[in-house]
Amino acid sequence: MFRAIPALLLLAAFASAAIGAESSGLKSGVFNPPRPAPEFSLRGSDGVDFKLSRYRGKVVALGFGYTFCPDVCPTTLAELAQARKKLGADAKDFQVIYITVDPERDSAERLKTYLSAFDDSFVGATGTAEQLANVRKAYGIAIAKKTVEGHPSAYLVHHSSFVYFIDREGRLRAMLPFGGRTVDDIAHDIRALLKK
Amino acid sequence: MTSRLLSLMLAAALSVPVLAFGQADGAKLRVEGAWARRAAMMKGDSGSGSGNGAVYALLVNAGNAPDALVGAASDAAATAEIHESYRDMGMMMMRQVKRIDVPEGNKVEMKPGGYHIMLLNLKRDLKAGETISVTLEFEKAGKIPVTAAVK
Repeated sequence: MFRAIPALLLLAAFASAAIGAESSGLKSGVFNPPRPAPEFSLRGSDGVDFKLSRYRGKVVALGFGYTFCPDVCPTTLAELAQARKKLGADAKDFQVIYITVDPERDSAERLKTYLSAFDDSFVGATGTAEQLANVRKAYGIAIAKKTVEGHPSAYLVHHSSFVYFIDREGRLRAMLPFGGRTVDDIAHDIRALLKK
Repeated sequence: MTSRLLSLMLAAALSVPVLAFGQADGAKLRVEGAWARRAAMMKGDSGSGSGNGAVYALLVNAGNAPDALVGAASDAAATAEIHESYRDMGMMMMRQVKRIDVPEGNKVEMKPGGYHIMLLNLKRDLKAGETISVTLEFEKAGKIPVTAAVK
């Protein structure tokens, strides 16, 4: 009996961890408790003034990047597009929003073209440097501009690349770091948030 | 000393320069599974480029000498460079690299979030289902033309 205690304790620890994961139901890092996703007003790639609250009622994936980004951003957007396809009929209730970290080069039109390679439903947003800095601050997104020697207009923008998942009530629910999860996991989380 | 032993020793002595010569040409490079990420060409505002793309592949050195990827070119873009994405201080970053070493008997994978060929200033859309031509230049193996599937 006494020899079994360490094993029982271990089993209890596994069980409670499993229950913990079950209760959140999400594979991404979770916000617990959920908190309202900070609102912002920007210029949308679809030509309309952009407000996050416009998408209340849908599950939103919010990402930050720029159109000159060749690897990280396209990878994130491709994964979100693939996850959206897996939703079938529920895809209409899932919205991807991409906010530029490079307003000097990324016009609303440029964002629209860039995003159209991945999914026509994706919406981009740009704005003034100050507006965008405020949004990044609200979402904890860091950026760093990196000039390329000899090419002043060809600079890079290093940026935090997690994607936020916002539920239908406009609350931050989960955070996905770059490369953190498979497309199936992402689709799983979106479906879980669509249900609640 | 037997004539057989002498023959063996002679063969061994003669084989050394052959081996040394073989060593220099010993890098046998293969590029597998090349693919490019889909991308839309953007008409540039002044100063803005038409957009960038990325090509990934597995570099296999099946030979017995080290080699390195030192350059790239494609008709799908104005220029192509070797780049590496990496994470630092909570941000995803990217830097140009001059070479990707592929040691003998080794494989190096260019994949999302890591090494890739950056296509600068796309000349056309990279559409899923199509292919583009890319030439990879290796220090020893020279230029290897590759067909990359756009995904």
